[in-house]
Parts: sequence; C-alpha cells; structure tokens
Amino acid sequence: MFIGQDITRVDALDKVLGTAAFAHDLKNNTMLFACVVRSSRPHAMIRKIDASAALALDGVVKVLSHKDIPGENLFGAIKKDQPFLAEGRVRYKGEAILVVVGVTEEIARKASGLVEIEYEDLEYISDPFLSMRSAILIHDGGNLLSHRKVIKGDAGKGFESSDVVVENTYSTTWIDHAYMETEAGIGYTDERGHIVVASSTQNIHYKMKEIARLLAIPPEQVRVVQATTGGGFGGKLDVTVEGYIALAVYHTKRPVVMRYTREESFLGHTKRHPLYIEYKTGAGKDGNLTAVEVNIIGDTGPYISYGETVCLRAAVHATGPYEVPNVLVNSRMFYTNNPVSGAMRGFGVPQLALAHESQLDEIAERIGMDPLDIRMKNALKRGSLTATSQVLHHSAGLLETLKGIEPFWRARRKQGPGSGFGLGCMYYGIGNTGISNPSSCYLTFTPEGRVEMHSGVCDIGQGSDTVLLQILCDALGMEEMGIDLVRGDTDTSLDAGSTSASRQTYISGMAVCNAAQKMREYLEGQGYYSGKPLKDICREAAEKGLPVFKGHFDPPTTAPDPETSQGAPYATYAFATHMTEVHVDEVTGVCKAVKVHAAHDVGRAINVSNVKGQIYGGVAMGVGLALMEEFIPGKTESFDNYYLPTSMDMPEVEAIVVEDREPTGPFGAKGVGEPALIPQAAAIVNAIKDATGVRMRQLPCDIERLKLALEKNKIK
Amino acid sequence: MLPKFASVIAKTREEALSWLSSLENPRIIAGGTDLMVKMRAGKQYSHVIDVAGVPELLTMTETDGRLSVGSAMTHARLSTSEPIIRNARSLALACGLVGSPQIRNMGTIGGNLANASPAADSIPPLLIHDAVLVLESKETRRRVPLEEVIVAPYVTSIDRKELLGSVEINPLRGYREGYRRVAKRATWAISRLGVAFAIKEDKGRFTDVKLAIGSCTPMPFRPKKVEDLLKGAEKNEAIITEAIRMALEEIKLISGIRPSYAYKLPVLKGILEEVLRG
Amino acid sequence: MKTISFVLNGKKTSIEVDDNETLLGALRERLGITSVKEGCGIGECGTCTVLVDDEPHYSCLTLASKANGRDIKTVEYLSSSGVLHPLQEAFIKSGAVQCGYCTPGMLLCAYSLLLKNADPDARDIKEAISGNLCRCTGYIQIEEAIKNAAEICKCDR
Repeated sequence: MFIGQDITRVDALDKVLGTAAFAHDLKNNTMLFACVVRSSRPHAMIRKIDASAALALDGVVKVLSHKDIPGENLFGAIKKDQPFLAEGRVRYKGEAILVVVGVTEEIARKASGLVEIEYEDLEYISDPFLSMRSAILIHDGGNLLSHRKVIKGDAGKGFESSDVVVENTYSTTWIDHAYMETEAGIGYTDERGHIVVASSTQNIHYKMKEIARLLAIPPEQVRVVQATTGGGFGGKLDVTVEGYIALAVYHTKRPVVMRYTREESFLGHTKRHPLYIEYKTGAGKDGNLTAVEVNIIGDTGPYISYGETVCLRAAVHATGPYEVPNVLVNSRMFYTNNPVSGAMRGFGVPQLALAHESQLDEIAERIGMDPLDIRMKNALKRGSLTATSQVLHHSAGLLETLKGIEPFWRARRKQGPGSGFGLGCMYYGIGNTGISNPSSCYLTFTPEGRVEMHSGVCDIGQGSDTVLLQILCDALGMEEMGIDLVRGDTDTSLDAGSTSASRQTYISGMAVCNAAQKMREYLEGQGYYSGKPLKDICREAAEKGLPVFKGHFDPPTTAPDPETSQGAPYATYAFATHMTEVHVDEVTGVCKAVKVHAAHDVGRAINVSNVKGQIYGGVAMGVGLALMEEFIPGKTESFDNYYLPTSMDMPEVEAIVVEDREPTGPFGAKGVGEPALIPQAAAIVNAIKDATGVRMRQLPCDIERLKLALEKNKIK
Repeated sequence: MLPKFASVIAKTREEALSWLSSLENPRIIAGGTDLMVKMRAGKQYSHVIDVAGVPELLTMTETDGRLSVGSAMTHARLSTSEPIIRNARSLALACGLVGSPQIRNMGTIGGNLANASPAADSIPPLLIHDAVLVLESKETRRRVPLEEVIVAPYVTSIDRKELLGSVEINPLRGYREGYRRVAKRATWAISRLGVAFAIKEDKGRFTDVKLAIGSCTPMPFRPKKVEDLLKGAEKNEAIITEAIRMALEEIKLISGIRPSYAYKLPVLKGILEEVLRG
Repeated sequence: MKTISFVLNGKKTSIEVDDNETLLGALRERLGITSVKEGCGIGECGTCTVLVDDEPHYSCLTLASKANGRDIKTVEYLSSSGVLHPLQEAFIKSGAVQCGYCTPGMLLCAYSLLLKNADPDARDIKEAISGNLCRCTGYIQIEEAIKNAAEICKCDR
C-alpha cells in the first residue's frame, strides 16, 4: 500500500543536495542571453523604435521585433489575443516590445537599455469603472471582456421573504505569485532540427503549441521540457520566456538562455485579479439563507489570459459552499491598462470567499446565531443543490470539516483585548469550469523489468510526481516502488493538461489509474499476479516490442448555460473550514495570525505529508492576502516593497484531514492545492471583527488600513 | 548586475584614508547591504573601498565614561554585545530589529548612519545617547554630533574624502530604556515608525526623559521641548497628554501634514502613551 | 580582476574575479555552484544565502572579493562527507521541501543555527530562517525538520 503513506518525495533528494537543475542552472557558456525590452507606458502608440545604439554594441547578436515573428504574433491560454511583441501599440506598463540577444547577460541587458522608443501616450484606463465609461477602447470589440451570470430561483422574491438582509461591498487588489524562482529557460536546436525549450513552467504541451504557432512550424518539431520549477501558483501557466527563447533560437541558430530579474518578473507576469464585489445576502430568522445577489466587477488588464475563466469561476462560486435557493450573480471583467491579470491559486474564489464569509458572519450577528451554527445549517452536503443547481451526488464533506473544527471553536477563549477568532469556509470545483480538461499518460516497461510511467504532468513543487507514482503502485498492486518516471517532456509524454485548478491528483491521477487498469490486465494474463517475476515478463515482451498502455481521463462536466450558468461545471468539489485566532494591537494596527485550525475534505489523502504541506503553504498565502500583500502598478518593483509573510508572520497551524471519498477520483482523492488558500483571508477578517468590532472589507487589511478603521470606529 | 567599478580592500585605517584622498570618485563599502542595492539600480562610483576588515573600525572602547563603537561593527554584533546591552539597551534592541539575520550579519552601524535613511533603526537610539561621529580624512579629524551629520534624507555632511571611523555614545544607566517600532511585517521590514526612549523616574516624577522618533520626519529627531517639559515634572496623565500633544505639534511643524500621518500620528500617540506611562 | 583565495566547502580555492562581481555570480558562473540562487538580487529573499565563517550572508549583496581569506560554505558542504547531513535527512522526511528553490538557503541557516545552539526552541528556529522567504511551505515543515534534526544531532554528540 502506497496510498495514504508519507512516501518520500521523489524530487526531495536532489533539492536538499542542491543539485536539482532549475532552468537557469541549465545555462552554459555557449549560450546567448536574451532579454526583453518593455514598455515604460501603460497605454501608448509606439511612434518610433531606434535600436541602432543597441545593435552597435559589441556582442549584440540580434534585436528582434514583431516583424521577426514568422508565425502568429498572438498567444493566450484561452483565446489568442496577446502579442508576443507589441505591434505599434502598448497596453500596459511592462508589455514586451523587443527581444535583445547578446553574447552575455551583461551585454544583452546593457543593449536593451540603449534602445530608444518614442511613444505617443493614450488615455490610461486605470480601473474598470473608468473602463466601462470610457470612449477609449483598449480593443476594438469594447472594454467589456466578459459578463457571466448565475441565475437560480428568483432572488427578488427571496429577499422579500427574508427576515434579514445584509448588503456590503468588498474589494481586493493585485497579488503577485511571487514564486521564489523567477521565469527562466534555455533553448537550442537539436540534431533533428527541432526547437527545444526547457523552462520553468506549469504546462509543457500548451507551450509547445504556442511556440509552434509563433514560429509557424509543426508542433512535432517543438520539444518543451519542464526544468525543475521553483513554484508556479498560476503565474507560469501563460507563456513567459518560452516564446522569446524559441524566437531567438530560431533566428540565431544558437543556444539561448533567459532569466527574468525579480523586477522583470513583477513587471512582466500576470497578477491575481482585483475584484470589486457588491454582495447582498438574505436569510430567515432561523438562519436559513434565502437569497444571494452578487455583482462582481473585475480588472483583467489589457489581455485575456485567464480573465474569462476567473469571471466565470468567481460567479459560480459566489454563494460559497451553502445551499441558497435564490441566486443572482452578475460577474463582469473589464479591460484596463493595468497589469494583465490571470490565473492565481483559486481563480477569483479567494476574493469571493472574503465576501461570502463576511456576509454570513454579519447575518449570524444580526440574528444572534453562532457563526459555526449558521455554517452548519446552510452547508452543502450530499444531495444538495449548488448555485448552478448541480446535485452533489458524491463526496461533499463540508459538514465533516465543520465538525472537525467544532471542538476548537466551542472551546475558544479570548486571550485578553485584541484577541479574536474567525471562521472561513469554502468549496472549490476541481478542474476547469464546464469545459473538457482531459489528461493522458502512458505506461510501458523497461527491458530490465521495471514499469515506466510517462507523465506530462508538471510538478511545480506541490508533489504530483510522487502522488502519481503512489497511485500507480497501488493501481498495479505493486509491493515496492519499482517504477521509473519519465516526466515533463513533450517528446516522451502525452498531454496531461496544465498544473492548475487543483486538477492533477484528481484528473491525471485518474488517467494513471486508467492506464494502470490496462497494464494490470496485461500483467494478469502474463501471470505476474500469480508470481511470475516482472523481469521475465519484460524480457519476453521486449522481443516483440514492449507494450504501451495509454490512460485517459476527462472529468464529466456540462457546459454552463450561457444565460444562467446552470449546469454541472465540475465533476467534484473540495471543501474546507478554517478557524483563525488573531491578535490585534490596537495601538499600531498590527494584526498577527496566531493559530489556525484548517480542516480540508480532500476525498482521500494520497500523501498526508504533502496534503499538510499544501495546507500550511495555503495558510501562508492567505495570511499574505489578508494582511500584507499588495501589488501597486507603477510602484511595486521587488520584494523590498512587496512583502511576503516570513516565518515570523506565520501562525501555528493544525491541519485536519477529512476524507469523504470521491468515487470518481483516484482511490477517492479530489484536490487541495487551491482550497488550502481560499478560506484563510476570510477567516482572518472575521477574526479581526471578533477582536476589535471592526469589519474590514478591503484587502489587504494592512497595518495602516486596520489602524485607520480602528480610529474611525473609536469616533463612532 | 553591477556597473563597472574598481574595488580596493583596505587593511588599515591609514590605507582607507589614503585611498579616499587619492581616488577620483570613491565610495566606502562595509556590509554592502545598502550600497550594493543602489549600485545594482545603476549608481556608479569609480572605486569602492572595502573597510569591513579594518581592525580599528571593528573595536569598541570605553574612555572617559563614553563608549566608542567602531563603524564597521555589524548589527548582529551590536545587538548581542554585552557593553551595548548594558549601556545602550535601545541601540541593542534596534540593531536586533534591522533587516533579517543575514542583513544583521553583514550591515554595519557606520553604513546605517552613512546611508541616512529616515527609517534607519539605529539612529533614534543613537540620538538619545548623544552620539558623536568621528570623521577622519587624511588631513583632518573632526567630531560631529549625529544631528548635524544628517542634513536631509539620505544626505550627510560627511565629506567624500572622509571616513566615518567610530561613533561615540553616552552610556545611560539606571534608565528605563527601549526601542519600539512598527512595520508592515513581523520582521525584515522597513520601520513605519520607531521610538527610542530612556526614562528615569523618582518618587512619581520624571527626573530625565530622552526620546527620539524615527520614520516620521525627514530625519529622525529628538523632541527636545517635550523632554524639557517632562524633566522634573510630576508623572500624571495630564502631563503625558500635554507632552504627546507637543510632540505631534512639533512633527507637524517640521514636516507639515503628510498623507502618512493619518496613520503615523495616532500610532505615535499610542506608543508614546505606553512609553511614558511605563 | 583580482585573485581571491578562500576555503570553499572545506577546500582551498583560488579564483580570479572581477572587481564588480558578486559572490553569488562568482559561485554560480566561475565555480559552477548552482545551488546558490538569485531570487531577487537585493537581499530580500534569501535564496542566495551562503555561510561566511559559518554565519549566513546574502551572496547577492556580497562582493566576491570579500570572500578572500574567509571560509565559505554552500549547501554542498553538508553532504561533502558522502552522507546526508541530519538536516538534509530531516528536510526530506518532514516534507520540508516543495519547489526546492529556497531549500539550500534554509538548510544553511539551519546549519548555522545548530552550530551555535544545539537545542533551539521554536522561536530560535523561526528567527534563524526569518531572512529566507518560502512561498510554498508556510515554513512549518521546515521548522519541524530543523527541530527533528537538532534532536538527532544532540544524540550523535
């Protein structure tokens, strides 16, 4: 049995030795260095580019512009709308314009500073409210990217029949993924003439296709390899360095390396969407929720990235994990000239959790009900209807997570002034929203008698390689881990889809199970399970050619109704409850998260240590989201003005793993990566209210915002 | 990547002074925690003179009741130094709050002063200890009070041919002394506000009060009028309220009204209340 | 250019470095020690941490010439005897490693701590790694690993 065991991570040894090869570590002295010249303006026409001084610099090999792109100069995870290199117009500060290739990093960077660009500024659309009114169009189709609705029952009637209605607005800001490793990669042409790129990424097959389109060559002539990747959290889903590396290799016919400085990383990659959320909640005196109406306005920046995805996912998760008979959600994303907002751990749901959890606490307060009781009363459970009227047929362990927290909640005692406790709940659909998002893999043997798993799954540090091996071992009924992992390479694997949406354990885990089932049948026939050694089976099979067993899984979902979003957008959901104790210093406005209890229904914990690692890391990110992280366009440059929580900012965390097994998942597993973060900021904000009487509706609730709110409250 | 410069490593004070006098556009480097960041951002010097290993700058001596601290002593050393803890507790505390463990192992007291950030943690404690900086060039040697050395945010009156050799401080014994600061993160963050204090009381009276406030005005400062008001006064809520009112007034007089004061002044009021009440 | 001599992971080493070169650059580019990372280049992340005379320093803010005559340790030192250091064992066992980018710096800070303090409490451990950011783990399993390794090191003594 490997499932449920704390199997040592397969990548840990190299990482503690310091030998793990991250993308920039693959660099050698024969490689050219490429760097990007970026727009210094948020919105402008490019009138003139003068690269002559850069080209004149000794050691500069090429300066590439959009004119040097042989294929299509547009990329995008969902829709192709973002230029690799700007053509005549820039739409955000930091947009890529040129690629400078030099013999060393020093030369390339120096040259990029010598490029002169003349701009003619256009109106800077600085927020979505300006965007919706402005006559200036960021794209010809208008400034509204997406409008999704969730309509269930009749919200108006629901409010009429409510005993209590609470209405508030909430807002959140840009958050940077802030993975410790900045974007990097290398590229070269191999002996077949194929373009090879090895990079820090969350999705190799997607990037292979984008490079092929960029260079107008068949995808088969592009090979993308995942280097050891120093975190992703959604920020390495979009094409980062890969396109530029491929273009530079294509033109120079020489190996090329790229690496973003931290400043470039902050400037260049996507952010978490700032959302403005108007939220109205109705309930009966008994605490039953009767209606929810939500109006979400998002700033998606000038290009789509995952903007539509966030728009829809935020909408369908807007009620939180509760049964609400009447729901009306309007979720709109507007283009602006701010940084491109894209995928980040939770795709809009952490922002909504702030709102629905604050609302629920206010309802509870108004009717004199305990915050835990009101959550238990309304919790989604097996058989419940979600906001999209999806029946939860299987795993739905929210109540179990609440029960896991209950003893700590009931026993809570304030530790003097400034002490407070808060709850946050969440549910999260595993996998992409209402669209096909399959994963494939294949298994074979080595002639020496080992099973070989070919996986296109990108392990970005969360531990999917280890988890998939555990799943495979048990699916094959192996007693020891006799498996070779061939991973992260488009030449040797099938498309597993992106490492995002907490989907790899569930979806790629099922693809592995599917392949294992076929291999198992084969092994059965060969007498493996009646004692024939694998070595012998493989030796015999090798003579005829080793068999290959393909696995595939695409979670059953239905496309949301275009008008009402009703349907079953996810095959399964994860659930969680966090309870956070804070201490607020009313003199300084400093809030410290002291202790967290985090209960997560993960279906089945394949690797408990990994699950806990995700929970702890999610809590840390939640502390940052709630209390200190804020990317300010034009101001934030690096970690000196973007604070991540340190070890000293972390609360003590007790993780409670709830396993309501999901029959459609591998050995009952669902996912935990994003859920770990989602309810934490909400729990902190609710705890601050409990501690101080002040309700914070804007994140981050940093020392200044909190102190000002405390002062205001005093005057009141 | 750093701009091009030549670096020299001084083995003695004399060597450093002689380079300072002969080189064209030199800059002293010790820990490098500020200078390296500035140079990476594009600041250029022809030479940097590394003084981190100069023995004379690494010593601490006590003469005539004053403590002389070598300018290349690191924050880590000062925060754990027994004489500093005994004689200048606020300085030890402040040095222990600078940056991170790595920054404290690298950064020096001299560097912190020469950088002259309004938010430098070491400056308010040094102010209440009447710090005097010993500035030497090849030809000259002068002793200048810290207040006079910092002339504007990030600007000092240290001549570019001068080396900050040591900092002399007045020990304070028998005081209730400390350093309170506020930052946006539990550690490794720029101070949004820092208050150094040393207070002596006897039979319900303030017999001596020394206060210095950092991160609030362009340069950390001592509200001397407030100190004078409190000195010898009976300790009660009325005098504390008046002292704080005066302190806040003085800040507004120095800097006018700044947006950050909506936060800082109420916080300072709260901290001063705690500090004065004890 | 300058010739500098220092002890690197227990071995005497001499290299030529540029005057404006950082220790981080020299270790990565001239000595092939890629376990030392550049996460920010301004001393705000900790991934470039090395030990200088057994104390953690940011190599991105350290001129290479400052290494002259000093003892420099990178994570390679911990297993230079051919076996994993108890800290490395504990990091693996406690789930302290996720993406791994902060790991070498964390290990070095932990090693430096245990040299000075064989019996660190939870606060000592938190402080020792408070100059190293980690975005994946929330630090908790790293702290557990250091605690566990300290126990093992104590028993070995």
